[in-house]
Amino acid sequence: MPQFRMGSTVDRLDRPSSYAMSKYKRKRRHSNSERAPSPDPMDKLANATTLYVGNLSFYTTEEQIHELFGKCGGIKRLIMGLDRFHKTPCGFCFVEYYTHQDALDCMKYVGGTKLDERIIRCDLDEGFAEGRQYGRGKSGGQVRDEYREEFDPGRGGFGKKIMEERERYADEYD
Amino acid sequence: MADYDRRDNRGADRYRGSGGGGKRKRYREDDDYERDYRNQRHRPEAPPGTRIKRGLLDIAEDANGRPPRDIKEQAVHIAKLAAEHWDDEYVRETFGTVAMKLIVEQPLKIPFVAGTVLYANDEKPDVAQDILGRVAPMCQEALDKGDWRGFKLLLRFLACLSPLYKEDGIVPILDELFNRAVDLQTASPEDVVGIELVKIILLTVPYLLASGEHVSLQQRASEILEKTEIVASAPHVLEALVDPYPSREGEEKPMAFGSLIGLLQRQLQGEAASGWKLACIPRVYEPRSKSNGAADGEANGDAEQSVASQHAFPAITVPSPINPGPKPLFPDVFFSLYADQEIESVPPTANIAASLVRDGLVDTINILDFNRNAAAKILTEMDNYWTPGAFARRETAFDKLRDFSADVSKWKPEDVSVDAIFSQIFRLPTSEHRLVYYHSVITELCKISPAAVAPSLGRAIRFLFRSLESMDMELSYRFMDWFAHHLSNFEFRWKWGEWIPEIDLPEIHPKKAFINGVLDKEIRLSFAKRIRETLPGPFHQLIPVSKEKDMPDFKYADDKTPFAPEGREVLSLLKKKAPEEDVQKILDQVQEQAAAHGFDDPLVPSTDIYMTAILSVGSKSLSHVLSTIDRCKERLLAVGDQSQLARRQIIGSVVDFWVDHPGNAVNIVDKLLNYLIITPMSVIEWALQDRLDRGRALASAQCYELISMTMQKVTERLGQIVETRNNTAVSFDQRQQINEVLPRERQSVRDMYAAIEDAVAAVAGGTQDEMVERFDDGSPERDLITLWGERWARVWRRKAAVEEAVVSDAAIGPLEEPEPEPEPVAPAADGGAADQGMDTVDDVE
Repeated sequence: MPQFRMGSTVDRLDRPSSYAMSKYKRKRRHSNSERAPSPDPMDKLANATTLYVGNLSFYTTEEQIHELFGKCGGIKRLIMGLDRFHKTPCGFCFVEYYTHQDALDCMKYVGGTKLDERIIRCDLDEGFAEGRQYGRGKSGGQVRDEYREEFDPGRGGFGKKIMEERERYADEYD
Repeated sequence: MADYDRRDNRGADRYRGSGGGGKRKRYREDDDYERDYRNQRHRPEAPPGTRIKRGLLDIAEDANGRPPRDIKEQAVHIAKLAAEHWDDEYVRETFGTVAMKLIVEQPLKIPFVAGTVLYANDEKPDVAQDILGRVAPMCQEALDKGDWRGFKLLLRFLACLSPLYKEDGIVPILDELFNRAVDLQTASPEDVVGIELVKIILLTVPYLLASGEHVSLQQRASEILEKTEIVASAPHVLEALVDPYPSREGEEKPMAFGSLIGLLQRQLQGEAASGWKLACIPRVYEPRSKSNGAADGEANGDAEQSVASQHAFPAITVPSPINPGPKPLFPDVFFSLYADQEIESVPPTANIAASLVRDGLVDTINILDFNRNAAAKILTEMDNYWTPGAFARRETAFDKLRDFSADVSKWKPEDVSVDAIFSQIFRLPTSEHRLVYYHSVITELCKISPAAVAPSLGRAIRFLFRSLESMDMELSYRFMDWFAHHLSNFEFRWKWGEWIPEIDLPEIHPKKAFINGVLDKEIRLSFAKRIRETLPGPFHQLIPVSKEKDMPDFKYADDKTPFAPEGREVLSLLKKKAPEEDVQKILDQVQEQAAAHGFDDPLVPSTDIYMTAILSVGSKSLSHVLSTIDRCKERLLAVGDQSQLARRQIIGSVVDFWVDHPGNAVNIVDKLLNYLIITPMSVIEWALQDRLDRGRALASAQCYELISMTMQKVTERLGQIVETRNNTAVSFDQRQQINEVLPRERQSVRDMYAAIEDAVAAVAGGTQDEMVERFDDGSPERDLITLWGERWARVWRRKAAVEEAVVSDAAIGPLEEPEPEPEPVAPAADGGAADQGMDTVDDVE
């Protein structure tokens, strides 16, 4: 007979997203044979003080982020996500707080609300490491901005890939 | 909803067949989506444990977007299911665990969970026996720990189960609680724990009486009321401290409801006089004889429980002395933006419903801070949890209420919910959670039913704006902060047009200062041009074009500024990252010239140049200025050590440079405090002496922010020191060292409060030097300034008093000796077990 277990009557918003967790799952599967099993992802995030913040407008400034995220505690460090080639903001950032509790509060109270009139996404993060400030998409920004089919004026219009294709199409009439 | 026990299967379902990469989006709603999807197929019915869990969790909630038709039937159904399968261990665990969790997490459901247990008891007394066996220890533990909210809710549940008991049930506990309250009150007039106990007693009595119609109970209740009268009706000494609308003597208050227990006492006396109708409390359980359900031969004609299904009341002892709990308490005052006005859109304060509904909603809001969406859902459906018909239909327009006949309720669910949230934003001395949580609940509420909530908010905003002058200043700042943040979530839309007349008020009028503060905060979350677009023409003058400039001018670029060439020289050296000596050379020249010109402190102009140049080099963003400060920090530290005035000049340079973006200045001052380049006292002296501007500075939100931010840092630090000192995991030597510096630390915090007090009291009394020189008695400007002085004085006196209560001699206590055990491992293991606390159920995620 399975024992009945239950955390709380409703989900908690201060849990890492399935994306944050799946990253670890993938890693674990690959590293099965060579390396010792990596520590439990929940443990890794158990004291996390950093948040990944996504869906920002390219035009949102550090000061705006400070103004909103400061409502959940003092900000120790703010790292803007940059286009790998142009070194311009590309719509994400890392916010590091002094305490784990502040980061959780931010997940609960700020994640999913608006900044600069866009709904932003917050996720617990194991901590910033050099190199992670850059977009990993082919053209330098975030991967999601490569293939986006909708026009998003806050994030450079259409996806880069889509725009490339349109340009090619137009070229044929030259 | 949490659905852990089937998750693995679902996960497999979810990914089967979804081959393409594009479809793997992640939504929180995934679970709901699947539930609907799965319902389309024919599936065998879920096992009883799962159905019980779902049924209990969802009890009284909207189903398919509609209020439930028959909650009683839901309760009977779950009860039967549980009773039928009670020999299944999984069912017992599920029913018990979910019921206990609901009591402490979703208190509005307590009467429904209790009703379900009572129905189950009719079927199978073992169910109630098991539940009592679970509640009693939890209740005892909450009481022993001083977890007053948890205790109140568990006691309420026990009260709702009163038909179960052979004996007196919870009444002896209420008597004991009252005895403790009297002991505490006699010991000290400042005691608040006793007040809290009386509050719990008074909030339990209605549920007790609503659970059964025993005349003897009513008599006991009246006896309790007679006893609580003295405690509840006497004004508490600390009450003035937490009054949201402290008015000058003789002035009428916009909100004069007074203490919560005083109100409760009067409401209950009213109920007693009218035969304890307690109309708002839902009666979920009908004894078997009344309902036509099972016609077992057992049931007899009376409403009395058959002896076989009655139980002994579980043993709960009220400890003596009582554990006051982990946090210092303050008396509660009733706060309402809508109560007792022309249209009765919320329960009037004479009605017990005002307190019961508020108590249930506030607990729900404060408990569910970990899921604001769930909190907002319950608030939206709040009418489900009370007697049907107690509230007007949801989304009824306010103006329609006017036409309702007298026998139809005008209580508007949206007003009641919004009122409850605002009571927490405006709770003094502090809110339970960060204020931004309550902002987010309002946002979610608006997202669920925008057309219904927005007008309620509009009336709330107008009420608050109307009486800004008499509101506690800390609260008017919270109002400003919420308002700007709220608008930022809704395209900055507000009917600014109605405040056009206020544009012409003097800058230091509280209403004008509020408007200026809101616009600045909006700009901080957005940008000047965008905010101007959202405003009617007459407001545009409040956002000058200079605010659109991202990088401010360098004042030394203008030759009219003294030391302009030197300023430019320093700037270019800093940009080039020239060696320190080169910079020093220029600064030395400035100091020489300044000394020759008879400056009080020649270090001041050179510091202004240096700091302004740093700010200009780093004007691109906060991280730019931080890295520049980091590079220049040795000189800045040295300057501050050399001269107090120069240190204060650093602050002045920051605030002046970012004059059009006051938020940036506050942010940079915050970082300078972290770097120890400036001291907390230097911020206070700069803001409240150097730049007091004969008191006018007190009207500036930036000034209040600078002081608040500084004092918060200071008190947080002191809190950490005390925490480390009392943490037995830290070595005794280290704790002893901390203990030795503690008195000095406490004194320095007191000195800062005293410095604020001196400055603002002088403004409040009109005795500040510049004020005396400048104003005659009765000048309108002088009156506004003294009002600001009074408002500041109230806020900081309260904060100082609260600080003394939080870091009191009692809270600090004697330094605990190290544990005699030589083994270092043991205490850590103990601590881990203790941390588990009340959580009886493991968390799987």
